[in-house]
Amino acid sequence: MSEQTTPQRRDIGGSLAGATMTTARAADGIDYSPVALMPDVKVLKVGGQSMLDRGRSAIFPLLDELVAVKDKYQLLLCCGGGTRARHIYSVASELEMPTGVLAALGGYVPRQNARMLQMLLAKHGGVFMLHDDFEKLPLYFKLGCIPIMTGMPPFGYWEKPGKDGRIPANRTDAGVFLSAEVLGVKRALFIKDEDGLFTDDPKKNPSAKHIPKIGARELLKNDLPDLILERVVIEYLTRARFCTELQIVNGLKRGQVTAALAGEDVGTIIYKD
Amino acid sequence: MSRGRLLQGDGRTHIESPLMRESLVDRKVIARTHSEREFEVLPDVMLVSIGGQSIFDRGKDAILPVADELAEARGKVKMIVGVGGGSRVRHTISVALDLGLPTGGVAQLVGAMEEANAVLLNALLAKKRSMVMQREHFWELPLYLENGMLPIVISTPPYHFWEPPAQEGSPLPTHGSDFGLFILAEVLGMKKLIFVKDVDGLYNKDPHKHADAKLIKRTSLGALFAEMPDDLPLDRQLLDAWRTARHVERIQIVNGLKKGELTRALAGDEVGTIIERGEANV
Repeated sequence: MSEQTTPQRRDIGGSLAGATMTTARAADGIDYSPVALMPDVKVLKVGGQSMLDRGRSAIFPLLDELVAVKDKYQLLLCCGGGTRARHIYSVASELEMPTGVLAALGGYVPRQNARMLQMLLAKHGGVFMLHDDFEKLPLYFKLGCIPIMTGMPPFGYWEKPGKDGRIPANRTDAGVFLSAEVLGVKRALFIKDEDGLFTDDPKKNPSAKHIPKIGARELLKNDLPDLILERVVIEYLTRARFCTELQIVNGLKRGQVTAALAGEDVGTIIYKD
Repeated sequence: MSRGRLLQGDGRTHIESPLMRESLVDRKVIARTHSEREFEVLPDVMLVSIGGQSIFDRGKDAILPVADELAEARGKVKMIVGVGGGSRVRHTISVALDLGLPTGGVAQLVGAMEEANAVLLNALLAKKRSMVMQREHFWELPLYLENGMLPIVISTPPYHFWEPPAQEGSPLPTHGSDFGLFILAEVLGMKKLIFVKDVDGLYNKDPHKHADAKLIKRTSLGALFAEMPDDLPLDRQLLDAWRTARHVERIQIVNGLKKGELTRALAGDEVGTIIERGEANV
């Protein structure tokens, strides 16, 4: 290239001027001291298939527990999808739709679930929020509200295609973990219909043993064919900066969620090891 | 299998489908959703990326000729134009990291600088039927493209606050502009992406720093993974995503500072560097 005729780049300067971004090297030499944005928030996921699809018998007692402590904690509720998401994934994969389309379609279901919880919690300050409202969290908490949102991250059509199937890798567990991570929250809470992690699926194998605590790397090393949380979340956990613990509790057992919110190690803890 | 019946009995209400009651984490279940083919949503549309640092940051002398070429091709080629953010993105990130903002917070900020470039380019091309399109509004694309419009989108994917932690423990968001445009092309079933940069294509080392850098005119994804050039003008995330992608067959890098190169690439000529996907699952 002849430099005389080439219009010059106008850099602004700064430590990254001219650098190729999105490579690990680009941040070398930057003194990075991360700030936890809202470390006191409790980020909770309400399971789709495990809780919401059970209807009133599972949801009402859970909401009672949450309402009882709502003035004690800042609760951010994130919803899972469940059987309607499975149904649309199934129809869309039969039509051989790309993963990104499945992720966008799957996104509608947890939003519906969040709206249902909002209606039930409205009289206690339940507020439905979209991803774009995330920066309003301080306002909601200041007013004593319970913000309720989808658990899905906003990747949608931009979800990466998978190697082995069409199911989007980042679903509602991922969104919950990533919400906790960006807020600087140490522990994310997943409310399911099991006491946590077992050596096998306890619904199919009654002799499966409960695992109270396990490291993320150890869990990945075991290479289990099935897991209670999305695989990608365990991978993220290994390189998390803030959210270094995931707690899975049984929302069908009265008091477990309350105990977990009080900081007790009920259910299963998966930690960054 | 029948679908749609509501089933109860285990405390939950299910809709009958092959994924009913299943754990979507179970590898066997995931594998059942695999098939060799994949539906192509808009296969005959091309995606053209105009580099932020490489074109926009060079100002008028670089931007206007590229805009002219886009205006000329508009209506002949169905295309979406993606824009990068350039130096202002780098400045944003540099300040954000100094402030200690988390990775997701940094990711939330950068799109705005690309939007500014989208507006700039759109102002130049509005009378040639360009428009700034919200990137996820692509169900409106048939309307735009059949009417000879030129949609302009930003490139960064909408990961925002939910940007996953980086692989190497770096605080930088890893899902950048090249990756975002690639996924946009892939999910719509497009075959071809053109990256308009300020170099003739892919070199074995950075041509801005090394006079003896050699241009690689033609290569494949497999060859790149076998021997990765030191300074890649494309995000690594793009290449990683391409390995499991099904639709994008060719990525072409052309020099926007050389008049006519973009036009020739749009016409299918082999200018710049052509990277072919080649064999699947390299």
